[in-house]
Amino acid sequence: MTDRIFPRNLTAKAAIKIVGNPVTTRLESGVGNCFPGLEFDHRNLDRRFFPGLVFNFGVIPPILADVDPVDPGLSAASPEDAAQLSQAVNDAMADLRLGGWTLSSIAQGGRTVDLTNAPNMGDPAQFWRLVRDLRPEKVTIVLTKTPPDPPVAPTPPAPPAPAPVTKTLTHYRRRYIDSDTGVIPDVFRPGELTQSLCSPWMHDFRDCACDYWASNHPDIVLGESSFPLGDNLADLDPQAATRPLDWLRADRKSRVAASPLARANEALQLRHYQINTEWRSLAFVLEGHEIGAVYAPGVEQMAAPFASAEELADELTSLCGLEHVVMLEYLYAYYSLRQPAEVTPAHADDLTFVRHELLAVAVSEMRHLRWANQLLWTMAKNGMIAPRPPALTPGLEVPTAGGVRPRALRPLEPDVLADFVAVERPSGTLDGEYARVVATLSRDYPDTMLQLARQIVAEGVEHFARFSEIARLLGSWSVASGAPRPWLRPLKLATKQQASAALDAYQAVLAHLQRAYQFGDIEDAAEIVQGRMAMMRLDEEAEKLAKAGLGTPFFLRRPEEDTRPFIGLPTA
Amino acid sequence: MAETGAGWFHLLPGAAPSVFLTGGSMLFDVDEDFFDELARDEPEAISKLAALRVEPLDAGDALAPVTALSLNVAQSCNLACAYCYADEGRFGGSPKMMDRSVAFAAVDRLLAQAKGRATVGFIGGEPFLNRKLIHEVVAYAKAAAAAKRVAVGFSVTTNGTLVTADDLRLLREDSFAVTVSIDGGPAQNRKRLDRRQADSSARTIAALAPLLSQPGGARIAARATIARDDLDVVDRIEWLAARGFTEIGVSPVRTGPRGALRLSESDWPKLLVQMIRAADAELARVFAGASPRFSNLWTALRAIHRGTSRPLPCGAASTYLSVDVDGAFSSCHRTVGDEGSRMGSVIEGFDADRRRDFLTARAVDRQVPCCACWARYLCGGGCHAEVAESGRSGCDYIRGWLEHCLRAYRDVATRRPELIARGVP
Repeated sequence: MTDRIFPRNLTAKAAIKIVGNPVTTRLESGVGNCFPGLEFDHRNLDRRFFPGLVFNFGVIPPILADVDPVDPGLSAASPEDAAQLSQAVNDAMADLRLGGWTLSSIAQGGRTVDLTNAPNMGDPAQFWRLVRDLRPEKVTIVLTKTPPDPPVAPTPPAPPAPAPVTKTLTHYRRRYIDSDTGVIPDVFRPGELTQSLCSPWMHDFRDCACDYWASNHPDIVLGESSFPLGDNLADLDPQAATRPLDWLRADRKSRVAASPLARANEALQLRHYQINTEWRSLAFVLEGHEIGAVYAPGVEQMAAPFASAEELADELTSLCGLEHVVMLEYLYAYYSLRQPAEVTPAHADDLTFVRHELLAVAVSEMRHLRWANQLLWTMAKNGMIAPRPPALTPGLEVPTAGGVRPRALRPLEPDVLADFVAVERPSGTLDGEYARVVATLSRDYPDTMLQLARQIVAEGVEHFARFSEIARLLGSWSVASGAPRPWLRPLKLATKQQASAALDAYQAVLAHLQRAYQFGDIEDAAEIVQGRMAMMRLDEEAEKLAKAGLGTPFFLRRPEEDTRPFIGLPTA
Repeated sequence: MAETGAGWFHLLPGAAPSVFLTGGSMLFDVDEDFFDELARDEPEAISKLAALRVEPLDAGDALAPVTALSLNVAQSCNLACAYCYADEGRFGGSPKMMDRSVAFAAVDRLLAQAKGRATVGFIGGEPFLNRKLIHEVVAYAKAAAAAKRVAVGFSVTTNGTLVTADDLRLLREDSFAVTVSIDGGPAQNRKRLDRRQADSSARTIAALAPLLSQPGGARIAARATIARDDLDVVDRIEWLAARGFTEIGVSPVRTGPRGALRLSESDWPKLLVQMIRAADAELARVFAGASPRFSNLWTALRAIHRGTSRPLPCGAASTYLSVDVDGAFSSCHRTVGDEGSRMGSVIEGFDADRRRDFLTARAVDRQVPCCACWARYLCGGGCHAEVAESGRSGCDYIRGWLEHCLRAYRDVATRRPELIARGVP
């Protein structure tokens, strides 16, 4: 299907299945999933809609459940009046800690809703929906102190009721997702978003799995990295590191791969009565791996931070080079692949998948190059480092399993693929390079910078999984020894002259990126649009060359020239 | 069983061959061999494509609430445009102004059944001939909407020649959607004459210049009418853009008192050429980083992107009605005064039965030749008022335009995806 018909607009995309995870696995797909039993309970986001305060929407009217003086939302420096508004919230906290307070009115954009006297508000969920509808803009709330219970035997005559005690506070409704990184802010503590879901000792917990319903527990995981099978697990069971296991398996020692069929897995899972009592045996999962008795801190925590911002920037500049050079290596490998229509029908689906995944990793490296540059321009803008030109020079060496190797443009032969897997192996080389960056950014740098660096590391783990899957798929093709790999085009490196159209396009991409990155996150539509067009031209030209048996010589300059930064090239 | 019936898909040959599925308005790229198989009606290919078919949703009998009402506050005009469908604003009657009690009652009717959002529009004639009422209705509608917890928005269609500084303030502060009737510069604006037979474009621009340079909350669009004696599109857009309009749409004359100005069968192919020229110029601009401005193109591209699939051409009689100076509701502003399109009045309320009958009779699947046309759910069957007056013409023009937009969509979705995903003009 997919090799012949490609969906273009939204309704077409909705009608067709494509390679990759289904949209239901994405965070944004959970918007409607607001009730217990789903992957997380969105209502918990709104409990903290107002910086510094935590509400409970389970009663009418909603009550103030807690105050949070360390809420990072209260230390936001923008918009301009945020600090002043935070001060007022902080000042009110001493009073708000005493006695009970209810949320009695909400106002935004000229509209005020009186919660004590609103019609059709018999259901607590209505109050939550009201808060859910607030825009992430300024909102004013009124809190009313609930009077103490009247004495059991009232002494007549009762004095006139005193005027209710209220507090009026204004702040910006919290943004639940960081606009740069898509990360949920730190203010939500571990477990807070899932606290209202079913619990591990309940029958529901077992049955809510991804084949049936969005789930709040892992379905398929990777095993512990040091499973006590033998001294050297990797030798005895080479696939162990990447074999998917069913997290709910009753035999906790089993290393049998999870089946793609839910029914097959179900037979081997903890039964309902078992989960009531044996839920404690289920493993915690961190970074996709089951964790045994003691969690050993990984590279991130142990890495030494850099002493200065300039040192950090030097490292980031060199990491940009690394992202850039592996991206070019992956692209070269990508163009070495045949089109699905050029192989036997039995292999066409595999190749569609392999091409998709390899390109996805290359695109992800492009994104990392952008993010690493963003870290640099953010530091320069905040005056932490002297301004420096955008880092757009590909590196000269790539760290891999056996130390560093010189950069190389190679077709996707099995040994090259094994090398890619090694480069992307978690805590191997690439993400290890980021460990010190993350360790440094954890100290007094803007949170969004840390999140960006973490996201690069997280995607690196994904790259490893993707390359491993590519290796598994291509490894299953039977190839006579010495015969050429059927997925590869015969490719030799083109001369610069043969590849001049492709190289012109690549230079244009760099020149546009250089101008766009120079000014940081200013919306420079013209540069980005033209860069995007040049990139499409590059794709077209590189594919044309590859069809003619020529690989694009992506390294524009000799290694000794690439020790100097890339400086603006004229565009065509 | 392969189906080969006409009208459920449409092939778009070219460098990137693609196929459009009518139901669900789905667009697919296909490889060349598959395209050829479809063109030859090969059963295997047809059934493969048929697996992707979706049936259009049946709208059912339920009437959606009216969310927009246009008030003909002045059935009179200071201009005398040669092609005017409204008889210089009088709709065949004598010049009249709407009374405040009629306007307020109409707003009450709208808000009484609105859910969440409602739009009050001002139309005519030239609405600013009744300036005082516009200001009063805005204040009244805002207060009434606030009491009913409805968000109310405003729109106006005007020739712009009469607006004052006070009016401009209203348009900015109350975030009006302002549609300005202007056909271009002096060269193109020859039908838009005032009572002294003088060109009105200079007066329109002079009065609106402060709003164009500082729109505040207002969103301003130019709407140019194209008569058969000057089918140019590109030059109009250029001239209007140079005067500060950032959203410009064009619309051909299909009805009206003077046959010499209405487009006839031989004109449609020429207009299509002009529209395609304008679209290609627009695409070249945005691919170089510029902002969109030719709204006919962007409306079509966004509809294609979303896969808009609708049984009717517009919201007339469904979510939109118009009210005349005397308080009678009509299916839209084009049918004011037409007894057959009357949908109740401010006294009786919206006439649900007449609205339902009107819509049922006009569903595109019931129209001939629409029911066999591949473009029917993107087009909706054409303006009801125009079809009633002069029948359907220029269908090849509509299809040609949509074909061009379907091809352009592929490029735009790749090069400037943000322009069709967002709700910008």
